[in-house]
Amino acid sequence: MALTQAQRERAYRTLALARALDERMWRLTRAGRAHFAVPCSGHEAIGAGYGLAMKRGVDWLAPHYRDLAALLALGMPARDVMLCFFSRPSDPNAAGRQPYAHFGSRSLHVLSQQGPQPNHCTHGVGCAWGSKLLGDGSVTVIAFGDGGAQKGEVHEAMNLAAIHALPCVFVVHRNGWTQSVERALEYATETLVERAAGYGMPGIAVDGSDVEAVHAAASEAFARARAGGGPTLIDAACVRFMPNTSNDDDTRYRDRAEVEAARAACDPLVRARALVDAAFAARVDAESAAVAEEAAEWAEAQPLGDPATVLEHAYA
Amino acid sequence: MSGGSAMRELTVIEAVREALAFELERDERVMILGEDVGRLGGVFRATDGLFARFGGRRVVDMPMAETSIAGVAVGLAMRGMRPVAEIQFADFIHASMDHLVGEAAKIRWRTGGDWTCPMVLRTAYGGGFRGGPYHSQSVEAYYAHAPGLKVVAPSTPADAKGLLIAAIRDPDPVLVLEHKRTYRAIRGDVPEGEYVVPIGKARVARDGRDATVLAYGMMLHESLAAAETLAAEGIDVEVVDLRTLLPLDRATILASLEKTRRLCVVHEDTVTMGLGAELCAIAAEAGVLDVPPVRVAMPDIPGIPVDDVLEDAVLPNRATIREALVRLVDRMPSGNARAAEAFDPAIPQASSVIDVAIPEEHLRMAVDALAEAARAHPSCNATFSWSGIAQHPDVVVDLDLGPSSPAGARGTITLVDYGKDGSDLAIPFVRPGQTAAVRIGAVRGGRAYVACAVDHRAVDGAEVGRFLATFKSALERRAAPEAVRAR
Repeated sequence: MALTQAQRERAYRTLALARALDERMWRLTRAGRAHFAVPCSGHEAIGAGYGLAMKRGVDWLAPHYRDLAALLALGMPARDVMLCFFSRPSDPNAAGRQPYAHFGSRSLHVLSQQGPQPNHCTHGVGCAWGSKLLGDGSVTVIAFGDGGAQKGEVHEAMNLAAIHALPCVFVVHRNGWTQSVERALEYATETLVERAAGYGMPGIAVDGSDVEAVHAAASEAFARARAGGGPTLIDAACVRFMPNTSNDDDTRYRDRAEVEAARAACDPLVRARALVDAAFAARVDAESAAVAEEAAEWAEAQPLGDPATVLEHAYA
Repeated sequence: MSGGSAMRELTVIEAVREALAFELERDERVMILGEDVGRLGGVFRATDGLFARFGGRRVVDMPMAETSIAGVAVGLAMRGMRPVAEIQFADFIHASMDHLVGEAAKIRWRTGGDWTCPMVLRTAYGGGFRGGPYHSQSVEAYYAHAPGLKVVAPSTPADAKGLLIAAIRDPDPVLVLEHKRTYRAIRGDVPEGEYVVPIGKARVARDGRDATVLAYGMMLHESLAAAETLAAEGIDVEVVDLRTLLPLDRATILASLEKTRRLCVVHEDTVTMGLGAELCAIAAEAGVLDVPPVRVAMPDIPGIPVDDVLEDAVLPNRATIREALVRLVDRMPSGNARAAEAFDPAIPQASSVIDVAIPEEHLRMAVDALAEAARAHPSCNATFSWSGIAQHPDVVVDLDLGPSSPAGARGTITLVDYGKDGSDLAIPFVRPGQTAAVRIGAVRGGRAYVACAVDHRAVDGAEVGRFLATFKSALERRAAPEAVRAR
């Protein structure tokens, strides 16, 4: 089902702001002003696709670490993103205790994210199980990379969700790279969608650069989950435009021509531009850059931690 | 402790089951998940009857996948449920460790209190029933090292109920370690209905004044049995049931040690980096011990052997605990006279031997000769410390004439002479506070060997030789007229 024009504009705003924040964070780490960036460029349409299809304040997200666009779609302000990026104690995600991309917000229904991938997949299944037991009609999105999908954690999570027909949607951001390791050394199939059948759940393969296509796949999966039809696996193919993180050097293992060709062929932002008016897109791009810059300046100026507080919150 | 009305005698497993049923009844959010917890009622029957009573939505048989049992419990807890997960044997818990230590323990802290993880994970640990290396382990040290987690280890039926109820109601993740041998072997009074034992409080299980045993699980009961035996032998041992291993109840532990001044830790877990190491460190840092502590624990082997004799040989028991306590109570406080005469292995010794011509009766002249040699070589009449070597202005000879007449402890140098009953040649040891000791061997045909040992940090090897040569000439000069007459 195609998006309405208003939805398309909202989707474009989400993608554009995610990209602007992403580029700003990358430049700031290169300038030595922050510790760590995790780019989401190339992945934005996936997070925005399901993020905009979720019911805000009802549905839950166990996020992938490249899920900035989903966070924005669920309502996280740019300033909070930058507090997370600068790891300030006032960051609502991780209180200055975890580096950037360890998202989490109780008020936005985003489960706290950890370091080791993909431990949050069983947490997401537990969350969905809670929804079913509480009977509140909510759905949990469980997002992870195709690298993470190789761990037993995801097998256990999908198996249990299928057994109990839990209201959740597994989304694999399949960019074909696990940091520096190519797809062929991570899994022997071309895609991961065929795994769904092995667990007895429907699988949907989708172009992860196409925000409308992701939104449509997510909406179908949410409807099934809400109707008691259990989980779905969405295989969302995409291209990672940037190194794994700011600590990575992808020139050691990746062909520049391949990256540039992919960027030209399937940039989700460029593709979404075709959905909206050119003048609107230009205005949003400019606004997004300004918002990202303002948020960064503001967040960087927020106070660093007080050593007296480091012992707090070990226990209730 | 709160609540409690009529008492009945229950086993530990019955008390666990009662706590689970009570909480399932009280709070809709409480649910049980684990392997075989449904129709079977758990391999130890902790959940016997609960599936029939509360249904498959709340008492859930999980796939045989320990990672997700813990991971899903984390997610349920974050979502607002009160999951009580069971890992069948503690030996299988390591597949859950990432979620316990890496996730559950950190969630409150890593989000500045935004998210919490009020989950419980119960597991059966401990040996003594021929389970072998994968059904007998004690795992507490791994998890008691994880701030953010709470770890409880009940030993009695009342605590099994009260601590489990406290764990289920706790706002933070709690690991409940149940010793599987206590399940049916230990019976005791348990209050009916509401009964909560606070987490973080130890209990003095037996009052005593001569030494303190810190123990938990089955070892609590073995320690109490050892204490009863020792009471008949006139040794009065206090036994503290730790009950909570993280966070430790330092106040109760230190109050007991301030009274008894002697510590024995008992656990089934292996000794190195075990809980005993931390408990000894707490006592040492607080300065409450008069003598070094003892640990009774499993030796450092990778697993518990299944063979009857071998398992019994490696697990602590009431006999090995009693033995350790006898040793502990016999230990002399450091700093007194008997301790000062003890051999100190920290002193690196150098030694030398020389042959002298002396009569059988030579003690008087030997003492005088030693004093003369010590004055000539002051480094041999000194006290070593890392801040410097103190040479003594006077020579005071400590005489060691054998077991019936041991040396005093006030001297600056030691002379050992066992007379004709002694061996021909033996190297003496340098006693703490001194730098040299000289031993005269048995006299054979007018000659004897004289051996000298020195603290090598204060006296170098060449100096020992010169010191001995001085002693020999001083001694033979005094002995010569008699020696000549003897010829």
